Amino acid sequence: MTSLVNHKRPSKRKNVAGDDVQQAGLPVNGNLEMLTDEEDEDDSSSDDGQVDEFPEIVGQSDSEEDSSDGEVLEDADEDEDADNDSDDSLHIFPKAKTIVSTITKQPKLLYPEIEPEYDSDSSTEEAPNRVGNVPMHWYDDLPHIGYDMNGKKVLRPARGDELDKFLATVDDSEAWTSAFDKNTQTDKPLTTEELDLIRRLYVGENPDASYDPYEPTIEWFTGKGKEEIMPLSGALQPKRRFVPSKWEKKKVMKIVRAIRQGRIVPNKSKTSTSKFEPFAIWSESSLAQAPPLPAPKPPLPTNAESYNPPEEYLPSDQERKEWEEQDSEDRERNFLPQKFPSLRLVPAYDRFVKERFDRQLDLYLAPRVQRVKLNIDPNSLIPKLPSPNSLRPFPNYRSLQFHHPNSRARCISVSPDGAWVVSGDENGVVSLWETIIGREVKWWKFDGKIGALAWCPKTDVSYFCLGVDEAIHFIIPPNVDAMILSLTQSVLAPSTLPPPPANPSPVKWVTPPSASWSVDKPILTIQLPSSSGIPTNFCWHHRGDYLAVVSSGGAQGGVWINQITKRHSQAPFKKIKGAVQGVLFHPTKPHFFVATQQYVRMYNLAEQKLIKTLTPGIRWISCMDVHSSGDHLIVGGYDRKLCWFDLELSEKPYKVLRYHSRAIRSLHFHPTYPLFASSSDDGSIQIFHSRVYNDLMTDPLIVPLKILRGHHVVEGLGVLQVKWNPKHPWLVSSGADGKISVWCS
Amino acid sequence: MGKLKVKGKAGAAKNFTTRSLAVKKLQCSLADFRRLCILKGIFPREPRNKKKANKGSSAPTTFYYTKDIAYLAHEPILKKLREHKAFAKKLSRALGRGEWSSAKSLEDNKPIYRLDHIIKERYPTFIDAVRDIDDALCMVFLFSSLPSDGRLPKEVVENCAKLVAEWQLYILHSKSLRKVFLSIKGAYYQAEVADQTVTWLAPYQFTQNVPADVDLRVMLTFLELYQTLLSFVFFKIYTDAGLVYPPPLDIRKDEGAAGINALTLQDSSRQPLAQQSTALAKESLSITAKEVRRTIKSINAQTTSETVDIEMAEEKPLEPEAEEEFIPHSSTKPQEAASELPTFLSLSSLPQTMSTNLFAPYTFWLSRETSRSIFEFTVRSFGGRMGWPGSSGGGSPFDETDPSITHVIMDRPVVERKNEDSAQQELRSRRKYIQPQWIIDCINAGKILLEEPYGQGKTLPPHLSPFGEYEGAYVPAHEGAGEDAAELIEEDEEEDEAEADEQSEAQDREMATAVASKDPAALRAAELAAEAAGLEYGDFEAKVKQANKKRSKKVSETSVEVAEQDMNKMMMSNKQRKLYEKMKYSQGKKNSERLKLEERKKDLLRQKRKGTS
Repeated sequence: MTSLVNHKRPSKRKNVAGDDVQQAGLPVNGNLEMLTDEEDEDDSSSDDGQVDEFPEIVGQSDSEEDSSDGEVLEDADEDEDADNDSDDSLHIFPKAKTIVSTITKQPKLLYPEIEPEYDSDSSTEEAPNRVGNVPMHWYDDLPHIGYDMNGKKVLRPARGDELDKFLATVDDSEAWTSAFDKNTQTDKPLTTEELDLIRRLYVGENPDASYDPYEPTIEWFTGKGKEEIMPLSGALQPKRRFVPSKWEKKKVMKIVRAIRQGRIVPNKSKTSTSKFEPFAIWSESSLAQAPPLPAPKPPLPTNAESYNPPEEYLPSDQERKEWEEQDSEDRERNFLPQKFPSLRLVPAYDRFVKERFDRQLDLYLAPRVQRVKLNIDPNSLIPKLPSPNSLRPFPNYRSLQFHHPNSRARCISVSPDGAWVVSGDENGVVSLWETIIGREVKWWKFDGKIGALAWCPKTDVSYFCLGVDEAIHFIIPPNVDAMILSLTQSVLAPSTLPPPPANPSPVKWVTPPSASWSVDKPILTIQLPSSSGIPTNFCWHHRGDYLAVVSSGGAQGGVWINQITKRHSQAPFKKIKGAVQGVLFHPTKPHFFVATQQYVRMYNLAEQKLIKTLTPGIRWISCMDVHSSGDHLIVGGYDRKLCWFDLELSEKPYKVLRYHSRAIRSLHFHPTYPLFASSSDDGSIQIFHSRVYNDLMTDPLIVPLKILRGHHVVEGLGVLQVKWNPKHPWLVSSGADGKISVWCS
Repeated sequence: MGKLKVKGKAGAAKNFTTRSLAVKKLQCSLADFRRLCILKGIFPREPRNKKKANKGSSAPTTFYYTKDIAYLAHEPILKKLREHKAFAKKLSRALGRGEWSSAKSLEDNKPIYRLDHIIKERYPTFIDAVRDIDDALCMVFLFSSLPSDGRLPKEVVENCAKLVAEWQLYILHSKSLRKVFLSIKGAYYQAEVADQTVTWLAPYQFTQNVPADVDLRVMLTFLELYQTLLSFVFFKIYTDAGLVYPPPLDIRKDEGAAGINALTLQDSSRQPLAQQSTALAKESLSITAKEVRRTIKSINAQTTSETVDIEMAEEKPLEPEAEEEFIPHSSTKPQEAASELPTFLSLSSLPQTMSTNLFAPYTFWLSRETSRSIFEFTVRSFGGRMGWPGSSGGGSPFDETDPSITHVIMDRPVVERKNEDSAQQELRSRRKYIQPQWIIDCINAGKILLEEPYGQGKTLPPHLSPFGEYEGAYVPAHEGAGEDAAELIEEDEEEDEAEADEQSEAQDREMATAVASKDPAALRAAELAAEAAGLEYGDFEAKVKQANKKRSKKVSETSVEVAEQDMNKMMMSNKQRKLYEKMKYSQGKKNSERLKLEERKKDLLRQKRKGTS
């Protein structure tokens, strides 16, 4: 119902627009009637010429309107009022006159002419809201309900609350005959026409008031004077209707004569007459369309197919046997070369018909593909890179080997000055030895595997930390300069302990009493919470104050950041998706990289938020390292891939290399030289030159330099870790065979 | 928000139709569909993603372009095929009821289809058609030699034979044969027609048997199309050459197995008198062009006659050949007729090399054991005259005793002739007896070769393909070159021997090889040899070191480069690497093939040397 009202509304509003009385809520009626009357006036005036012809305007009309129409026009107004009192005479549409047509002599309805400027629906209407027929709920959340003709916003009229509504229904007598107009967002009283329409629908009458269901039928074919009379006559049929036609006979005889004379051949076969004759089919130009691609031609015969080929083409017995055993589809040639001393002895080729047939099968059954044939030297596809000789120095030979008997050398670390190496194995032995000569200075024995080793990067102190069984031990190497020793001791075990943090951490920092300090015992031990597993990955911040630890189990992904000076540990992540494979501090910015199984996430530690997620496309990340400039990251995976990320460029790898035949275990960028190394389970170490340019336009240059072999693969494990000597282009590598090699340039 | 994409409404799912769907859409049987595809040249396509094209199913199916099928649906032949189906039903019913007369009238009004619109569609220009007649010619040559039986109607074979004769006649007339190759499968011919090379294979003249696994219906459908195509092409080339098509057939000669000679070439300008008079009127205008051409020809003849072998010296005056209606004079006539409008085609065919008249000075006699179909065609298309005994068919222009015969093509071993009179001996001494391969090798070489290696009863030099091989393939050396190779090998071995004489060098060499092989046994042997030669151990060691150094230097230089390249391969993208590996694979395959042949050649030469020495 509302929709109907809504639709009707514009036309109504038009009529109402000029009427101020309308607002007062008076039962205004007859607006339309006014118009129609004017119409009538117009009609009569305009139809003047016609009216002359039809002096009797009044036909057999059915209502009083007709009488009013028929009456003089001057008292139309009174008539209107009278009409409007009776609901029946209410018209939405202009009233029609019934006249008798001059042509058919039948009464017909004559509607007044429509004057385009006044009568069209939207000409004089002043609907303030001109948004058109759009769903009004679009404006539900807005202060306005649309735009007027000038593009100004039409503000939403104020609407009262429920109480106001109720009061309105009580106060306003018209409230029950008004409906909500979505277009103006107000209640509008319904016009009399609409009320009439509603009433008619409610009662079940025809909504069109002018429709008369009881019209007298018009008799077209029946009735007086229209009876049809059958034209029957009793006259006899003429004779000619019973004798065969003479002219037909003549025509038939003509054909018969022609047949007898042979001019017409009956049952002439169509097939024999339409014998195929070639003609100049290409004389007129062809259609514009391109011809279909011609079928590929079979290859031309080569020397081997000759009846008398050079002898070297003849197959040996073994080749002949192989050819005969092969399936005919797998054969490279469909014939065996044969040699005949003379042409006379050449027999018929027994597969001739079959070969033609195969060719035809190819023509109509084989899918065809157009291929571009590359005519290039395959070596031109190999990228041109500078020669490794021009990129020296890089490690290219093994200078010495250190041995961990009966165990896998799991982790190594090189001191910041490059003179010392600590290495740990799975038996819990940690050895300290000199890089240059490989002499062992001291060894420590712990219970359980050594998971990770890391030398503190600070140069004014000297200690390293190692991860064993849910604990991190800090050890000061022997023979340290006294000043450094005291400084180190003060850093690791200050006399006055810093105040404990506000909220107690599950991590315990334990320092033995100063009396029992010795080189055999760790000076400081961090006890990680229980069931957190072995620490597998250490990463020092470049200032040497923070140590990030990843352990193999436990909550929070097993990541702890330990601050040495404050003796405080914190877990940076409450919860982390996926198992953490490794963590890294950004060398210059307060950023932190976390590698989970498939993604590398980059966090800003200062702002405590995620910066970006890198997707290397590796199924299981094993290791990663960041370039000293901090703009490039390499990520290695167990699926043999190495991804080079340009952090400025994209979250997808800049380059993906796959050259190891087994999983990549370890990666390391040299801190000063443009080198990086990767080690793998295939027992090889690959050295790359990696030059990074300062300008953003130049891509980093990656040149493979050298493959170092020498580690043995033991139980499927090869080289477990590689570390560069920070001062020299030397590489230290530890293998599953218990050997630790130093590679020098 | 964009329009929602519905699966299976666009892309591959719409562009491809499976074969069964196509048959369903066209409402015809599979056999009819096959026939339509063959005639219209529609073939299956391979979608990039089979699953997408087949509504998610990965079952093996054949795909066609949907547009191709829509194109077939509008084919008038499809309607004819449906009519034919109705006709077959009616006929079988009439036959079943024994209504013979209605069956006959049905048979007389059998629906037939024409293929000319298809020819026009598939080959919009004449060049397109000529480019694609290779297969058609092969088929027609094959079917002209097949026995007709229940499956293969006689008319088809006859028509094929007719087309073969017409084609050969045209090639003879236009002298457009270029290359011939006798293979174990048959004779390959290559001709140049309308600037396109046309290659066809004709089987040797034996009865071919159709194997059981060959579907003759498919072949006959192809043949249907090919016959129509060829007759249109022949019509065009004959009329372009100013000849009447089809050339009139002399039935009496044909029955005497005259082959090509049964057909007569007729100038089309000779037929309508009115046309001739206009042609005559035009001839006065075209005279200058004609003369220019003639002079060019004569110049060509002079220049090439110098290059031809010695045999040209004993040129004999040509006899007027009255019997052969078409060879010399008819070949010039149509050119005159065509000279009215020098088209690009006629101009480009003008500077024909003299190799087309290679055999012009000679007269050949074909012995009865050689195939007339091959040699009559080849010799005559290169200007030679050819006679043959009555056993090879009628229509020979001269008989065996003709004194003009210069060459006899013989393909049987030499037999001692005892009862020969002097006249016969005289005749024998004047003629050259050659094996058939000489003809073909002369044609392929473009010059007259020496007859001596091809003489009767001689072991023939190998017959090589004139079409060449792929680039980098093994090139079999000619006989002369083969000797060179043998010499090379000999030299090699001689050198070895010479070196063996000079002891110290030999030792060096041995040492080098020993070092190279890194075989302790070899090294030990070398050491022993040195000791035997009286060399001290210290010297020996020094030498070993030297050799080692030399070698390692050499090896390291090359290996370093190789290793560097190997390492650079790491930096290739996946696509490049795959391409590289593919190329390397095919290269390696070609190389190994070549090496194998070279190796075998060397072996053969060695064996030969052993056999002789």
